[in-house]
Amino acid sequence: MTTKKKWTVIPGFLALAAAATLLSAYSGASSSQGKVVEQPIKFIHNPHVEKVGMNCLYCHSQANKAMDPGNASVATCMGCHTLVKTDSPEIQKLTEYWNKKEPIPWNRVHKVPDYVQFPHMRHVNAGVTCQTCHGEIQKQGAAGVGEGYKPVEQAASLNMGWCINCHVQGYNPAEGARLAGLPDSVVQALKNEPVKKARYDCAVCHY
Amino acid sequence: MSTEAGSGVKRRDFLKILGATGATTAVVGCSSEKVGKLIPYVSSPDNTVAGVSQFYATTCKECATGCGVLAEVRDGRPIKLEGNPAHPVNRGAICATGMSAMQGLYNPDRYRQPMLRENGTLTPVTWDRALEVLGQKLGEVKSRGGASEAVFLNAHETGSFPGFLDQWLAAQGMPAHLSVDTMAPAATIAANRSAYGAAWPALDFNAASLIVSFSADFLDAWGHKVPQQLGWADARAKLEGAPKLVYIGARRSLTGLNADQWIPAKPGSEMAICAAILGQGSTADAAAAADVPEATITALVAAVKGAGSGLMALCGITTPDAVDCGRMVADMNKANGSVGTTIKPAEAHVGYEGLASHLDVVAAVERMAAGSVPVAFVRNVNPAHTMPANAGFAEAFAKVGFKVSFSSYPDETSELCDLILPDNHWLESWGDAMAGAGQRSLQQPTLDPVFDTRSTADVLITAARADGTIASRFPQADYRTWLTANFNGGAAAFAAALTQPSVSGSPVVSRASRTATSRAASTPAGEGTMHVVVYPSATLGDGVGANKPWLQELPDPVTKIAWQSWVEIHPKTAKEMGVKEGDHLTVKTAAGEITAPAYPYMGVRPDTVAVALGQGHTAYGRFAKDVGVNAYRLVANGWDSAGNLALGGMGTVTRTGDHSPLVTTEGSARQHGRKIAQAMMAAALAGPDEEHGHHDIAGLVSQEYLPGLKSPVAADAQGEMANPLSKDKGMYNPEHPTKAEARRWAMTIDLARCTGCSACVTACYSENNIPTVGASYQGRALSPVTWDERPGANILKGREMAWIRLERYYEGNTNTENEFSPDFEARFVPMMCQHCGNAPCEPVCPVYATYHSPDGLNVQVYNRCVGTRYCSNNCPYKVRYYNWFGYGEPERRQYAWPEPMHWMLNPDVTVRGKGVMEKCTFCVQRIREGENRARSEERDLNPDEFTTACAQACPSRAIVFGDAADENWSVAKLAYDRRAYHVFEELNTYTAVVYLKKVNHPAPAAPATA
Repeated sequence: MTTKKKWTVIPGFLALAAAATLLSAYSGASSSQGKVVEQPIKFIHNPHVEKVGMNCLYCHSQANKAMDPGNASVATCMGCHTLVKTDSPEIQKLTEYWNKKEPIPWNRVHKVPDYVQFPHMRHVNAGVTCQTCHGEIQKQGAAGVGEGYKPVEQAASLNMGWCINCHVQGYNPAEGARLAGLPDSVVQALKNEPVKKARYDCAVCHY
Repeated sequence: MSTEAGSGVKRRDFLKILGATGATTAVVGCSSEKVGKLIPYVSSPDNTVAGVSQFYATTCKECATGCGVLAEVRDGRPIKLEGNPAHPVNRGAICATGMSAMQGLYNPDRYRQPMLRENGTLTPVTWDRALEVLGQKLGEVKSRGGASEAVFLNAHETGSFPGFLDQWLAAQGMPAHLSVDTMAPAATIAANRSAYGAAWPALDFNAASLIVSFSADFLDAWGHKVPQQLGWADARAKLEGAPKLVYIGARRSLTGLNADQWIPAKPGSEMAICAAILGQGSTADAAAAADVPEATITALVAAVKGAGSGLMALCGITTPDAVDCGRMVADMNKANGSVGTTIKPAEAHVGYEGLASHLDVVAAVERMAAGSVPVAFVRNVNPAHTMPANAGFAEAFAKVGFKVSFSSYPDETSELCDLILPDNHWLESWGDAMAGAGQRSLQQPTLDPVFDTRSTADVLITAARADGTIASRFPQADYRTWLTANFNGGAAAFAAALTQPSVSGSPVVSRASRTATSRAASTPAGEGTMHVVVYPSATLGDGVGANKPWLQELPDPVTKIAWQSWVEIHPKTAKEMGVKEGDHLTVKTAAGEITAPAYPYMGVRPDTVAVALGQGHTAYGRFAKDVGVNAYRLVANGWDSAGNLALGGMGTVTRTGDHSPLVTTEGSARQHGRKIAQAMMAAALAGPDEEHGHHDIAGLVSQEYLPGLKSPVAADAQGEMANPLSKDKGMYNPEHPTKAEARRWAMTIDLARCTGCSACVTACYSENNIPTVGASYQGRALSPVTWDERPGANILKGREMAWIRLERYYEGNTNTENEFSPDFEARFVPMMCQHCGNAPCEPVCPVYATYHSPDGLNVQVYNRCVGTRYCSNNCPYKVRYYNWFGYGEPERRQYAWPEPMHWMLNPDVTVRGKGVMEKCTFCVQRIREGENRARSEERDLNPDEFTTACAQACPSRAIVFGDAADENWSVAKLAYDRRAYHVFEELNTYTAVVYLKKVNHPAPAAPATA
């Protein structure tokens, strides 16, 4: 190889490598933390949880049974909304889906890659609160569906380091309870609970 | 290379542009992250949890056996078939053909809607239009008075449909249908009927002490494979008291390779041997006819005499005298008093009742040729492929006024038809089958039809109800209602029966009786000096399996060849002809000729060549078309005295001068002293255990830790072996709260049971989303615009992906090129990742993508893998497989699951992408599923609670999986069996797979001298 060629090629590759490094650092390519996705219906968790006091499992009924947490069927929504808030334009959208007997095409917010097997039931049954991973979801939509409406966002990074951190260091029940908005007495009582450690070898999730 | 000054500038420009493009792509890639959908149910169905499998009991219809299967259904789609453990026929086992029904269901080449021939080509039409045409044609036929000449060829099945069909045909004024099964051992059935009064007496292998098989391939494709294999393996597992098998035939099949002795009798000499045994002929005559030493025949005669009522003599030959030979074989059983002991006509299997003979079909074809057939119906049979060429099917069929096919697939016959009314797959249909005398097994749909197809029974009902003259005979609107309404006890009893593996009962209606065509046996005399043996493939059958890539990719159990046809020729003959492996041979008989590469095989007589059926399709979809040659071209249109097609005859073999490599998965057929497949004599089991507890070198781990799994769990960076001073052992510490280290997943494989059938291989493909790589579209690029389109091109380069493979090794007979000897032994070893406690693959991985888990698994982490392939290079077992192409990526050319085949992918297992190494995981997804289930139910795992896919399917029950650290699991006991050994234990790999030595028996009919 001639000297001339070498001087052409080497800086080129260096530049390329530098560009790639910068890009991956800036883009946060491995995480979509904070991702906000618009939804076909402006669903609000807040009144369901805080006002009505519904348990998460009412709609996400498989979260303690299966890998997949499940999502409310349209019929489940209509169980209440044939009577409740029927004058709201968002509920009218829901009724429209129901009348057409079509599912609501929700946009997915939380997603782990295909090579990750995430069993919801193991976490829920171990007492991990939903908010530990999904953030203070009970506050989502507290501002209503008008001005200032915020759809569900991805609260945690869902990166592997984030998973492993909890599996190795252990889950802190008091912190989970605090995020879930449980009464302070409960949070304090849980302070003395030992952290819950879990397996962290690769084949627990990757297969 | 150019050194012009300008080129440097250009390159720099190019790099700039490349950099800019890269940046744009990266940014776009991040900001426009694909948003997936989360689609809920409109209303949740009862009793379903999304992502949790449901199992529907139904009945396999891939052959006439009627095995009970459980369809694993995930979110409305079947993803795998398993044997139903409660079913009396198959007791939880399932064969490769049965499992591959999934690929028939999701076959991308299925007819997607009805088709009608318009202006010479088949054009898609609506069901309304198709039914209108059908009604119109039926009306025309009836009005012209031709209905009595109609022909209906239906794939043979048991249950109520054949009777229903005959009712429908009778209502139309048409004759009863012909129930066609080219795979049925018709000559044996005819002989059984006349000798025992039952088509298929139950075979009690357990009661047998000596089995004499005249080419009765009960482990290949002869009869009811799964129950036979279960019976055989259970009997052989008795070890010392096991039945011995003598195989008589010109070609050593898989059954022959499992035999304790092979008597390579000349084709056509079987009756002489029978005569010698029955005392009707001399041993000298038999020996001369069979071309074997007289001492062998004498010893055989004595062995048969000595076996008494423990004799099980079976005849499976397909020569023109097959029925007569079958009767003589039955006479042997009668003479020995073994009828009722080993051969049980009272417990006959009814799978072959109502079968039409080849001659019946020939008679129908003759009527077609005469132009007297106004309408013909074909359902799931393919005579254009499976009839000898000189039967003239295609020409005769062309003369039929109107041809209707109910086939789901564009096969050779349906391509000739005028109207295609595609049938539902059996996994989409209601029905039933007979599982044994008086045992009825129900069939229920496991999903809505994949395509716009309709069950033939429903179509027939619709057509009849549209015809005012006969509508009143069909009061039910569909077949399901008809079936339940006629069920003994009605709909409620039917619903209850669906939850049972099988119920006592008989078909709703019996089929119409039909006079079998009778004609004197006729087989054209072949010319030539070579015997030509044509046999049904153990994997592809008569060709019906050829459109299922699992079956194409499954190496033939004997030759280990896939995606190809081959000619088996003895190495001695090959040497004499100057033929080397892969040289093309033309085999010519009176009927026709085929050309295929040679496979030198010491299991055929030197004066014999053997060719398997199954390949050579000219249609039948992308996986079958233009693969191999159709061996039916060698078969003359002749029949035996019961009207069954006689396969094989005399012919000539010539070299063409062409050569093509064999698509084989085999490296060497010999062990070269590697002790991979070990065996011991049965007699040695009675003696003292000399090998175990004997330490040549004190402290040598390979001896200290044998047998079983006393070896330490992991030589991991955090494990006991690697760094004893390490303070933080993490999860490898027994004190870790998860107690992950307490388990030791392990497997035992009993080689005394394994027959080499390879069902485990297909089970693994199904469970673990393993891509098939041999289809003609999957080859590598030879240039930017040309591709290697040879079937099996990837396998030729050693790129098959089977996580478990069946290795077959020969022992003895090392001078096969110069002499012929029948005395060699075959050993089968299922070989998969051994999950070594001290794994050679682990330390060489630069990115820690493979490591040892605390519970004893050798884990491959796909998302860490960067594809260096060091691990594969360092694996002594060669069980790691590399994704050379994007078999799992839909946008790539080599995608292994063209729509809708990806519907059967197991959602619990990652679909691996290009550049990733993969291997057996011990079905870790099943381990996790079991652990999750136990945890949800707040209990520990129960012993033997779950097993791997290979062990689940195994029709020999050779594979046992479990926790070797817990003595309550079966595997923990088996791992310490005195036959236990590890493959390559001298490498100190501490494998978690323990093999139990094969047990050999002395040849039952060995000449007394020696």
